[in-house]
Amino acid sequence: MAALLKRLNDELAELAATARASLVQIQNGGHGAGAGTIWHADGLILTNAHVADHRQLRITIPDGRTLPARLLAHDPALDLAALVVDAKGLPVMSLGDSRRLSPGQWVMALGHPWGVEGALTAGVVIGMGKPIGGPISRGEWVTVSLHLRPGHSGGPLVDVDGKLVGINTMMAGPDVGMAVPVHVVKAFLRQLLGKQSD
Amino acid sequence: MGDVLSQVSEAMAQAVKTAGESVVRVEGRRRLPASGILWSDDGLVLTAHHVLHHDDEIGIGLPDGETAPGKLVGRDPSTDLAVVRVEARAGKPARWMELDQLQVGHLVLALGRPGKTVQATLGVISALGESWRTPGGGSVERYLQTDVVMYPGFSGGPLVGMGGEVIGLNTSALVRGVSLTIPVPTLRKVVETLLTHGRVRRGFLGVGAQPVRLPGALAERLGQETGLLLLSVEADGPAEKGGLMLGDTLLALDGAPVRHLDELLGMLSGERVGTSAKVRLLRGGETKELKVTIGERP
Repeated sequence: MAALLKRLNDELAELAATARASLVQIQNGGHGAGAGTIWHADGLILTNAHVADHRQLRITIPDGRTLPARLLAHDPALDLAALVVDAKGLPVMSLGDSRRLSPGQWVMALGHPWGVEGALTAGVVIGMGKPIGGPISRGEWVTVSLHLRPGHSGGPLVDVDGKLVGINTMMAGPDVGMAVPVHVVKAFLRQLLGKQSD
Repeated sequence: MGDVLSQVSEAMAQAVKTAGESVVRVEGRRRLPASGILWSDDGLVLTAHHVLHHDDEIGIGLPDGETAPGKLVGRDPSTDLAVVRVEARAGKPARWMELDQLQVGHLVLALGRPGKTVQATLGVISALGESWRTPGGGSVERYLQTDVVMYPGFSGGPLVGMGGEVIGLNTSALVRGVSLTIPVPTLRKVVETLLTHGRVRRGFLGVGAQPVRLPGALAERLGQETGLLLLSVEADGPAEKGGLMLGDTLLALDGAPVRHLDELLGMLSGERVGTSAKVRLLRGGETKELKVTIGERP
């Protein structure tokens, strides 16, 4: 029985190490740093619009380099932003299916809460979809039983297979974490790329 | 990757799915609805008393997405429980778990359905104690505390084991700031009483009281260090009718000492309603005995 718990712990640690490789730090000139998630090996980084809401953005990628970033697009309503840095061969996280999440499943959030680099917080999915009542009644969310703190925003929310299922965004009340589901991020990017090809 | 973790995660989601079929939405107050548990396949729903602000126009949101009208069978504020009957074919009644299988440290899920879909959160059993009495005087078979965060609308929902069985009903209102679960044996007792009487009868004296230290010599003579000083006596209440007065100190009821409020509440059970009790008290430095007919708490 104890061996089972140890394996569980080892798997969590392994998952954290793998996911951390696709986590970046975003300095926006303010104090502290936001988080970001590597979406494409050629330098496409996803984060929250409220993290990218500044002119001078610098991103520290997992190999330690800090690079200037260009804002490709942002959508304050979805609280999403796409950034580009001049880098190749970045470690990309595989995408999960956020539509198939169900309440009770384990998820992990990565980020830099209160400046603690590459921290991991684990919890479970509370529910999905549009919240009823409360301060946030728009948009689609994954709600999770973990505490997101300043510095978590823009970081990845991963499932037990280490796949990306959401972008950590905010708290709704003292105990409910909210992430933008990955299918909403995909739609945001599709719209963005569609516009560019016009 | 993540073999054990994946299995644990899937098992948890499965437990939520299984137990979720007996979790309903309870619309009995303005703003946010709360949760309830399907108790039996004849449409009895168990929920928390404090989430039903009105007795009429209760809506029950069923697992299949339909909303059916619910009729209040009865409520017991002392254990924060209420029973509602829904006419529609409601879903699957919960599978129950007996408490002897439960230990401190076990993983548990709390479920709720404040919206259309079932929601869940995770925690562990923090404390599993003996029987206890709620601040309102209700008696509960086991003290069961968890560290689950009770999200808005989760009151009235079930605490669920990893196999999808229901351990009890969660309430955040019985003791403030603590997630407590009313275990199945207590639920059974309260449901039975509410079905038979429509309410849980409690004895009533109509007094407000506070424990006070007795004078040394008296304490020694009586073999008890404290009594209950009456801070208020309700007009026309059972105590006043029996001759009790403001400033009396209760010492014993039918020969059993009343040293704390708990002891008094414990004696005022439903069976004593209408019976006569000998009350020993301290008035002006003298002990005195009076007869009081115990009333029923309104």
